[in-house]
Amino acid sequence: MRSKLLLPLVAAFCLLLTAQAYGQSYAITNARIVTVSGATIEKGAVVIRNGLIEAVGANVAPPADAQIFDAAGLTVYPGFIDALTNLGMPAAPARAGGPGGGQAAQPTGTTPTSNSNYPAGLRPEDEAVNDLRAGEAQFEANRNAGFTTVLTTGRSGIFNGRSAVIDLAGETVSAMVIKSPFAQHITFSTIGGGQYPASLLGTFAAIRQMFYDAQRQQEIEKAYAANPRGMKRPDADRSLVALYPAINREIPAVFAANREIEIIRALDLIKEFKLNGVIAGGTESWKVADRLKAQNVSVLLSLNFPKRTASSSPDADPEPLETLRFRAEAPKCAAKLAAAGVRFAFQSDNIRSLGDFFVNAGKAVESGLNKEAAIRAMTLGAAELLGVDKTLGSIEAGKIANIVVVKGDVFGKDRAVTHVFVDGKYFEQKEPPKRDANPSGASGPSASGPSVTGRYTVTIEVPGQPLAATLTFSQSGPTLTGTMVSQLGTSQIKNGRVSTDGFSFGSSVEFGGAAIDISVSGKVSGDQISGTIDSPQGAVPFSGTKNP
Amino acid sequence: MRKSLAILILTSLSIVSPMFVFAQAKNDILIKNATVMTAAKGTLENTDILVQNGKIVKIGKNIAAPAGARVIDASGKYVTPGIIDCHSHSMLDAINEGVFSVTSMTRTRDVLNPTDITIYRALAGGVTAANLLHGSANSIGGQNTTVKFKWGHPVEDYPIADAPPGIKFAMGENVKRATSFAAPGSAVRYPRTRMGVVETMRDAFLRARDYKQAWADYKAGKTKVQPRKDLELEPLVEILEGKRLVHAHGYRSDEHLNLLLLADEFGFKVATLQHGLEAYKIAPEIAKRGTGVSIFTDSWSYKLEAYDAIPYNAYILWKNGVNVSINSDSDERMRRLNLDAAKVMKYGGVPEEDAFKMITINPAKQLGIDKRTGSIEIGKDADIVIWNAHPFSVYSRVEMTMVEGEVLFDRAKDADMRRAMAAERDALEKLDVNKAPSGGGGTSPRIPSEMRVKDRDEADQADGGNR
Repeated sequence: MRSKLLLPLVAAFCLLLTAQAYGQSYAITNARIVTVSGATIEKGAVVIRNGLIEAVGANVAPPADAQIFDAAGLTVYPGFIDALTNLGMPAAPARAGGPGGGQAAQPTGTTPTSNSNYPAGLRPEDEAVNDLRAGEAQFEANRNAGFTTVLTTGRSGIFNGRSAVIDLAGETVSAMVIKSPFAQHITFSTIGGGQYPASLLGTFAAIRQMFYDAQRQQEIEKAYAANPRGMKRPDADRSLVALYPAINREIPAVFAANREIEIIRALDLIKEFKLNGVIAGGTESWKVADRLKAQNVSVLLSLNFPKRTASSSPDADPEPLETLRFRAEAPKCAAKLAAAGVRFAFQSDNIRSLGDFFVNAGKAVESGLNKEAAIRAMTLGAAELLGVDKTLGSIEAGKIANIVVVKGDVFGKDRAVTHVFVDGKYFEQKEPPKRDANPSGASGPSASGPSVTGRYTVTIEVPGQPLAATLTFSQSGPTLTGTMVSQLGTSQIKNGRVSTDGFSFGSSVEFGGAAIDISVSGKVSGDQISGTIDSPQGAVPFSGTKNP
Repeated sequence: MRKSLAILILTSLSIVSPMFVFAQAKNDILIKNATVMTAAKGTLENTDILVQNGKIVKIGKNIAAPAGARVIDASGKYVTPGIIDCHSHSMLDAINEGVFSVTSMTRTRDVLNPTDITIYRALAGGVTAANLLHGSANSIGGQNTTVKFKWGHPVEDYPIADAPPGIKFAMGENVKRATSFAAPGSAVRYPRTRMGVVETMRDAFLRARDYKQAWADYKAGKTKVQPRKDLELEPLVEILEGKRLVHAHGYRSDEHLNLLLLADEFGFKVATLQHGLEAYKIAPEIAKRGTGVSIFTDSWSYKLEAYDAIPYNAYILWKNGVNVSINSDSDERMRRLNLDAAKVMKYGGVPEEDAFKMITINPAKQLGIDKRTGSIEIGKDADIVIWNAHPFSVYSRVEMTMVEGEVLFDRAKDADMRRAMAAERDALEKLDVNKAPSGGGGTSPRIPSEMRVKDRDEADQADGGNR
């Protein structure tokens, strides 16, 4: 009884606190303001109150109660939007850029249990908002880089589930979410674990069958709703039900595809099932710009441009000309899409350094993309593609106060974000992090942590049949050598590296009479070791302990 | 860096861009004074062929060149129809969906990759069309795609639109998986024996029959709820209705016979027995049913179930009136099918013309595309190969290959293309994005790609390279 009485009081107090926080008003003055929706204001002010942009203009005077930021010499932009991420998702799967980047890795985290009729990877009912972790602290690095809004989806598999547009502020999921679901996400991958589909052939058959089944299910449900008498009750199959919005064109279907042929396959499916299609990745989308335009398909264009890595540059083999071209053409894609009238927004695609997002957008500008178009692709243009442009993407009175203040050229190496506002909340900028002494990162930072040298007993979590293995590491500076022993034999560690991020190495194992190349990455923390083994058959996690 | 001349040549070929050839327009072409092996009406000496709009419009002597036509002097050269490979996995980004033993819902059309360099190499060996099949891991595999090798064209141009649809069946070692490993964690798949394979097929056809009936009942108003559109069973119904060609992989004659009897039971015809190295044992039974056989000319005893293979297989089948074709089942052997055909003249003495038909009009008939290709006849597609010598000679080389009147391989231009690409490579390799990261040394050189296991699905390696 007593607590019941207290509740309204507590609620009222909370409201008061909130009102106080949102009642706070800010004014950014003497700034160059890139509104995106209208002309750039060379010197003006933006006033923020109650989470919204209250006023913007050359002659706007800061209100008396506003905290004032003098932004002379700085430029104000709408908060940047990253049009596809895994932010806020547990155990975000690694989505590699570059060749074959359309293929998502298998989940490395624990697979949540589900009573779905379908195996993990074929569950369109998976919702990003269900997995999204609450709390804004986790987004600090992204906000510091100038991002205020992202599209996020965290699932691997074929049907990745439905994504959400979130603001990078708010202590609860409900406070973060702007729009959910945004789209159904689809990747041409396999689901692994010895389950169908295990090859690209089956992937297409499985996608098609689920679309057909969903179409039929919807028809039957309609008929049953109209007249249930004498009709068998239809299955309540929520996986199929979750596909209705996509097949009814109520939400987009986003296909992860980087290579031309992957994009063509996606476009064929979009046409076959009359979907509201979107391409995510799209590194070679310029090659099919005419078709994208004709089918009104937009692109969430990856700025994680393909790079040559040590492991993908074998000395014995000249690289295929296609690969050389792929890397050379990637920065030119955006300009070609713009010229062809294809709508696009930029996405980070799990780029290693968020600063590269802007550097690479700058490369797109150097390659012929109009600078305003580049800004649009990370602000209002992205908001339009994500269906949130009424409230986000530009600096206009009445819109959500997502604002970023930048010092220097936004595409330049000297760029620095000085102020970030998300939902009208001011996030103080810490000192910009010191640049890596060795920014190329090619040889890796010198391993400053404790040596990983030792013998580890690990279990490789092959679904249904865990494999025991022993890893023997010998670390010398950043170089890692040693062996991996399992029932598949003894394999030498190749290209082994250790950095502050962990260790990585390549190897090959004999299986079924063939040598299979694997790449292994992981971390050692105390006596614990964990990581992922990636192979052409998919990725599996492993974990274990150091032998005394 | 480059280890040998062979690797140099292979890597050069691997970088030929589709872009170079696509730009060519379809001119009229007049081939003059050739020795024409027609695969229809014998060999014609000093003969001209006129190609217009991608079709063969005139065959004869002293044909006048229309204005603007490209005239090719083929004096002393041999001209043949394009070779057709009735069993190939080229262009496919995946070959086997091996989780189930019945995967009729899969379609090789979904995974065609028009950038596969084997297309250009096939053209350089005179091959212009192929039957792109699912692998042999399953009793009933996926749906095939019959393509023309239109190198440089977008993927949608490859399938022959009016080719009857087909499907892969398979029996024997690859299907029962007696010699392969189960992946860690995966269950051992049914069927595990040759009798289980036949049972799997019969079960699938019984399900297809029920499925067909369910739809018939629904359409007749006998049932209220629309049946599920079942992508696995629909192609099997098409087989029962005679609308889809069955291409059945197998080696042993007892298994072939089992399949023919199963087909009798369900009332359909098997289009081809693929491989059929023991087919000679049941040649009359095959001939009686009008089934074709598509073979390797050798590969004798290369695996246990090929133990009873003999070099006279093609001859005995031919003698019994069976339509025989010779296939490659290999990206590499595909380029030398002309020499495989020559071998059947040696073993048994199949006449030259009939041996030549085994790589041209015979596979065209097996694939149901003989109305448009497979021979040099008026009205057919101009799928034409010009050779420097008799194609059965080991000294012969393809000089030019055209598909529907479009020159897609031209030896005279190949060297220029290689030079152009070498220059492009030099320029591209100088770009920062293509430079190897510094400090990555200390690693041993990797295996050259030609010697690496192909990056396709694992099932390919487990079934003896898909053969």
